[in-house]
Amino acid sequence: MKEIKYEAALAELQTIVRKMENDELDIDQMSEQLKRAQELIKLCKDKLTKTDEEIKKILAEK
Amino acid sequence: MMSEKRLTLFELNNLVREVIECEMPNEYWVEAELSECRENHGHCFMSLIQKEEKSATPIAKADARCWASKWMLIRPYFERTTGQKLRAGIKVLLKVYAQFHEAYGFSWIVTDIDPTYTLGDMARKRQEIIRQLKEEGVFDLQKSLELPLFCQRIAVISSETAAGYGDFCNQLSDNPYGFQFTTWLFPATMQGEEVEKSIIDALNHINEIYEDFDCVVIIRGGGATSDMSGFDTLSLAENVANFPLPIITGIGHDRDESILDMVSHTRVKTPTAAATLLIDHLKAVLDTIEGAQSLITHYAQQKLSSLKSQLSIIQEILPKLFSAIKFRQEAHIESLNNRMLSAIQQRIMSQMAIISNTESRIPMLLERRITSERHRLEMLEEKEKALDPTLLLKRGYSITFFKGKVVKDPLVLHKGDEIETRIEKGTIKSIIK
Repeated sequence: MKEIKYEAALAELQTIVRKMENDELDIDQMSEQLKRAQELIKLCKDKLTKTDEEIKKILAEK
Repeated sequence: MMSEKRLTLFELNNLVREVIECEMPNEYWVEAELSECRENHGHCFMSLIQKEEKSATPIAKADARCWASKWMLIRPYFERTTGQKLRAGIKVLLKVYAQFHEAYGFSWIVTDIDPTYTLGDMARKRQEIIRQLKEEGVFDLQKSLELPLFCQRIAVISSETAAGYGDFCNQLSDNPYGFQFTTWLFPATMQGEEVEKSIIDALNHINEIYEDFDCVVIIRGGGATSDMSGFDTLSLAENVANFPLPIITGIGHDRDESILDMVSHTRVKTPTAAATLLIDHLKAVLDTIEGAQSLITHYAQQKLSSLKSQLSIIQEILPKLFSAIKFRQEAHIESLNNRMLSAIQQRIMSQMAIISNTESRIPMLLERRITSERHRLEMLEEKEKALDPTLLLKRGYSITFFKGKVVKDPLVLHKGDEIETRIEKGTIKSIIK
């Protein structure tokens, strides 16, 4: 997956959830979209964790 | 006329002398203005004058003499008391007696001079000048000027050879702070009759290039005579008062301020004091600058340390702030995930329900279909039974075939055609006749 911004990832995730809740997706698409959603969740969580670590590291350097 | 007695000039003058000596034996105090005053062989010869109050027209004149024996006492006392010499233009109160000499004519002989009268008159004149300066609105003009902060280019009015000038320059150049002053001498006569004109000339000279200077210093060395009258003139005072640069006077004298001192920006007693004033002024500016410098340093440090402490506070709370953000974001993602999973679950369930509902209807539909087909089949069977030709044969009907086909019209048959006729128990072959 190419570099994607946190906000963009979150927005895409929200779109997928909204579509699922509104039955806008074909059943055939669902597993594919779920897979995409799980990727986005992992990406967001990783970014949060990474940022947290970086902040601690930067502050520790001072 | 010729009969009258003739007198020689001496006899006549002698007569006058006797009358005067007889009639005016007393001494008188007389107020008069000196129109001339000179010394000769230790004696003092004066011309006295009284002018009309307004027009200055002489209304009385007389000669006066002070013999050396008196003059050697009177002169130092007068000069010490008034601070000036007896000279033309000043008013005096003289104690005199009349003398008429056959050869030298009439003269008042001076036996005493009251210097306090002259002092009073000088004071009156000074007051008159001051009043006039105030009326012109120039008396305080110099006071409204300010010495420039960096007052270092000094125009000096002094006698070139005066010790005071040297003192002034030395004092300036030897200042303990290493300040640099530039002095420029405008020579002037600082005593005697020439003072007024000489100083005004120097001021005019400076005025032409006044932008090259920060202030003017008028100094007069110690040891000069104490004759200050040259510094008390209206014209000099006006020139000084209207001058565009601040003027500092250091013309050294003990008695009351001269008018020059009064109208100048600042008055000090000696040339050395004038130099000290300039040094102190510059030192005060330096102190102000240094004070400001240390204040700036102080405030900058204060500001820096307060910013530093703010920063360290921020540094402390920053990780906590981000933790909160992270926590919220993770919860949000989690809830999105849950919503998604539950949406999927619901979708699957509803599809399953549709499928199982559909599935449950299948056996019933099949059964119904099978029953109806079976019924149709039975119906067809019945119908077929009714149509079975063997039943008709049993009842005695027959069927005629020609070449395997049922014959329903006799016109299709021709002579010699062989036909078969089926009956209940067999077949009859016949030939058409």
